[in-house]
Amino acid sequence: MSWRAEVLAAWAVVLRNAIMGVRNVFFFFELLFWPVVGVLSIGLMTRFLGLSPEQGAFVLVGTIALSVVNVCQLEVAYAMLLDVWSKSVKHQFMAPIGVRHLTIGAWLVGMLRGFVIFVLLAALSAWAFEFPVLAPGPAAVAAFLAGCFLTAWIVGVLVCALVTLFGNRAEAFAWASVNLVLVLAGIYYPVSVLPGPVAALAATIPLTYFLDAYRAHFGFASEFTAPLTTGFALAAVYAVVAHWVFRAAVERARQTGLLLKMSE
Amino acid sequence: MAPSATEPSPAIDAREVTKTFRSGWLRRRETAALRGASLTVERGAIFGLLGPNGAGKTTLLSILATLLVPDGGRVRVLGLDVTRDAAALRRRINMASGRPSFLWSLRVEEIIAFYGRLYGLSGARLRRRVGALVEQYELVPFRRAQYNELSTGLKQRVALAKALVNDPELLFLDEPTLGLDPDVSGRVRQHITALRREQGMTIVLTTHYMREAEELCDEIGFIKAGRILARGTADGLKRRMGLGDVVALRLEPPRVDWLAEAPGVLRLVERAGWLELTVDEADKRVPELLRALAAEGVEVRNLRVREPELEEVFVELAR
Repeated sequence: MSWRAEVLAAWAVVLRNAIMGVRNVFFFFELLFWPVVGVLSIGLMTRFLGLSPEQGAFVLVGTIALSVVNVCQLEVAYAMLLDVWSKSVKHQFMAPIGVRHLTIGAWLVGMLRGFVIFVLLAALSAWAFEFPVLAPGPAAVAAFLAGCFLTAWIVGVLVCALVTLFGNRAEAFAWASVNLVLVLAGIYYPVSVLPGPVAALAATIPLTYFLDAYRAHFGFASEFTAPLTTGFALAAVYAVVAHWVFRAAVERARQTGLLLKMSE
Repeated sequence: MAPSATEPSPAIDAREVTKTFRSGWLRRRETAALRGASLTVERGAIFGLLGPNGAGKTTLLSILATLLVPDGGRVRVLGLDVTRDAAALRRRINMASGRPSFLWSLRVEEIIAFYGRLYGLSGARLRRRVGALVEQYELVPFRRAQYNELSTGLKQRVALAKALVNDPELLFLDEPTLGLDPDVSGRVRQHITALRREQGMTIVLTTHYMREAEELCDEIGFIKAGRILARGTADGLKRRMGLGDVVALRLEPPRVDWLAEAPGVLRLVERAGWLELTVDEADKRVPELLRALAAEGVEVRNLRVREPELEEVFVELAR
């Protein structure tokens, strides 16, 4: 496939997902309502509990990461879910499109939505709770966002693989998976408070390191050495594995006939 | 013998194709959908695949369209192996189904453009292609309508337009007129004939409508229980099945008991006041029957002779 065809196929998915997002009534809730409610409720809770500004910052970083990762991974999962819901899976996989076009196209839209949410929540946090999310500077913010987006891509692609393997039954996983990852990655607490085996599991999740690195800018001692390097290295490995699993899932669905069943 | 370099390979060359679906707990339940189906379709032909429900039509079509991987056999489409060369093949084929389904919020133009981009079209070329297809399938007034607002007939037309976006060499149509009213069905059939006439496109279609198969197809294949039982032209199949000719009589008195036992009569059916006799050879039997009826004092009020219909071949084969 030529580079032009590669870019065009991914661009087709970008446009499709963007149009579907804009015309989706839940778009407003995904993009604005739930993230804003999340930051407001958690921010108010930190006030009620009388947490120090540093502790408040610790928790709010987790809340913002939750929203960014959640929205971006949902968009990646839509790469498959939109066709499953509309029963148009067979048209998609009859066309010369690879899973890379689907996931990268959807990811680009997801990153845009994630970025909008991040900016919005950062502004809200600064205005309502005097929490300077952007204080660590552009490089730190970029690394944190890149980590969140990579985590979202990995989770979203694995959801796509599960939906391709098991059909609609796996859909619930799309909604639940990110929360599980975030609980393990230490969304509202340092992973050191987790029980030993769970903390070991948390250490296998890239987001753990990205949260750790970003929180270090607010005065919390890093629990890991070279967290960003470790986070990106882990994310790269998982990204390759997730891509391979999704590809294998599509091939498997071509053998079992699930690709057709999802179109009827 | 292998085809020579100048001789193009057939559009479809499928040999002894098998496919079994596994389901249930530990995937122990097996359903054999194809049990050695073989099929050859020449380039530029319209080929109809007929068969009862569950015969394996859609499974075979899906294998040819690279949507399913066969368990066994050899399948080449446009000279390419459907498993090894699937990616290259997908650029040259397309499919429209009688139960079309696309993303509900996309507009007609957006659906066609989405698939157009997947096939490498962009910019002015894409706009021209989308515009031409929208016009060709009389979708101009609905070009900005969302898919979920369209009627069944319009959805079908969108599916056909999408299926032609890459100007395929081989087009698969899975029950293309399913659920359409006679007027729209007629127009869809006209479009299908025009595609072959004007572009030399090879078309493989499945249908439940025998008249549609008879009207459109150069050749018909009957599939049952995962095997192609018979293939040929509609007339050829009727002759080969030895169904004979149908002589329909309106008599006074309306019932004559001995007719079923008359020489050359294979079957007698009473239908809406007519006695329909299937005879081995109408030219020979009609004069004999008329003489015998006159001798018995039976008045022949009306008489029609027709060839058997494809549906009768279908019923015979599906038994």
